Amino acid sequence: MKYTASRAFVALLFLWTLTGSCFGAVDYDQLFRQSSDLMAQGDLDGALALLKQVPAPAADEEAGAFVSSRMQAGRILASQNETVKAIAVCQEVLKLFPDNSEARNFLAALKDQLKPGWHTVLSDVVRFLPSLARGAVMTLMLVLCTMLVSPLGGLLIALGRISTLRPVSGVCWFIIWFFRGTPLLLQLFFIYYGLPSLGITLSPFTSAVIGLGLNYSAYLGEIIRGAIQSIDHGQMEAAKAIGMSYSQAMRRIIVPQTYKRLMPPVGNEFIALIKDTALVSTIAMVELMRAADQLFNAYFNITALALAAVIYLVLTTIFTFIFEKIEYRAGIYEHR
Amino acid sequence: MNIASHPLLKLENITKRFKSLTAVNGVNLEVSHGEKLVIIGPSGSGKSTLLRSINLLEEIEEGTIHFEGREVGYVMRNAKRHPDRPQAISALRAEIGMVFQHFHLFPHMTVLGNVMEGPLTVLRKSADEARSIATDMLVKVGLSDKRDVFPATLSGGQKQRVAIARALAMRPKLMLFDEPTSALDPELVGEVFDTIHTLADEGMTMIIVTHHMGFARELADRVIFMESGNFLAQGTPEELFSAAQDNDRIRGFLNRLL
Repeated sequence: MKYTASRAFVALLFLWTLTGSCFGAVDYDQLFRQSSDLMAQGDLDGALALLKQVPAPAADEEAGAFVSSRMQAGRILASQNETVKAIAVCQEVLKLFPDNSEARNFLAALKDQLKPGWHTVLSDVVRFLPSLARGAVMTLMLVLCTMLVSPLGGLLIALGRISTLRPVSGVCWFIIWFFRGTPLLLQLFFIYYGLPSLGITLSPFTSAVIGLGLNYSAYLGEIIRGAIQSIDHGQMEAAKAIGMSYSQAMRRIIVPQTYKRLMPPVGNEFIALIKDTALVSTIAMVELMRAADQLFNAYFNITALALAAVIYLVLTTIFTFIFEKIEYRAGIYEHR
Repeated sequence: MNIASHPLLKLENITKRFKSLTAVNGVNLEVSHGEKLVIIGPSGSGKSTLLRSINLLEEIEEGTIHFEGREVGYVMRNAKRHPDRPQAISALRAEIGMVFQHFHLFPHMTVLGNVMEGPLTVLRKSADEARSIATDMLVKVGLSDKRDVFPATLSGGQKQRVAIARALAMRPKLMLFDEPTSALDPELVGEVFDTIHTLADEGMTMIIVTHHMGFARELADRVIFMESGNFLAQGTPEELFSAAQDNDRIRGFLNRLL
């Protein structure tokens, strides 16, 4: 609908310029008429091709046909949102006829049309940044709380899994099985929307930290268990041989040696965590993803989403860098 | 002058089975204070398993262990044998030093940290005390200049000497050496050898499992030849080597080594 209307408008424009500016261009009357027919049929590209056949005039030649053909092409291009090409056409005219006021005005209008694009993006960024920053702070809080809780939970689960006490290892197995085996989104829903029916009502933030914490504890539990079991058995024997208890050996000898091995997979998990916090937007938490979504819906403007993507990237990049540093430090004793 | 009337270590009828394999088959052994005992024998003869049974790194199926006259390691409950409480087992291990074939130094601790670890964590000494004990031990094994490096930078021989210092820092009454030179390049054996020799000269009671006959000859008060979980022969080095003339198995084994 819109498209046909704009085409009709361009056709009218064309007719108007045709009558107004082709007095002396007798040679090209036929050509203008053809292109006008093509436009009426909707073949804008065909019309453009015809108009471009009008050559640049020699020094002493009449300029009317050339100028009006190019200006007409410029209007067609502008109607197709080909602003840059339209500008090029105007400049072609101005190169030969620097004083042509029609071309000059048109060029100015076209350039105006281009400028607001950047202005809009910039002003959008400025407008969206505060609420996105607030969302990012909330995301960061969630990430930090989960990063505090889940390694401890993971270590407990890992030690429990290794334990020779059947009930303990059974419970830990179950936790891993359940939280790795169901979607995080479902767990969050259960904690936030489901627990109130059991009489436990939690704030969105608490629910989010519990959900993310349990989920990531389960994953880290398996990673830590693997790391502990990858330490040479001789280390445990050597610790026992000097009289250490199991817990002393774990605390002083085994677990500290897992740090370096843990960093790459744990870093991975925490990068995933930064992005997984986006799921929390479904339980009434306004974090980065939710903030971006709200802006997008309010303004129907993808700048908000792009900006959120940039903030996520900044966060993940910072964390990646930090984890690399920690990994290097944790393994310093291996450097010869 | 408490030279006890009983031996430092007394093993009776020690039996260890791995599934269908009997690794140690009803062995009896007494080790007196200050004795240097060397156990030799082919691979898989149960030497290491026997050694590891002494400080309870292996749980034995039958037999009793007496250390300084008291029975250790196992208790009877409901007419069934169970391992003793973990604390009691750890306490016994604290009195018995062990040196492993592959050193098993703690890679995340410096040399000094390795040797301090026992006094600090197990004996609950202060950091200063533990450091001074550890420094003494490193001097004894000749590695005080390496105190602040990590084990990864040491040669095999140096690692093993640190491992000996780590065991000594607990002031053990008995030292167990489980093939202490088997993982070393030949040119590094000597330094570990010398360190053990120094200990022996100081009167340390020790049991050494080794393939190194020179060791046995030079150091041992008594040599035991073990095969298939049994003691095939024992005596002073001279006695054993002369007994070898009459015993094909022992002679075959020794000929292959010498």
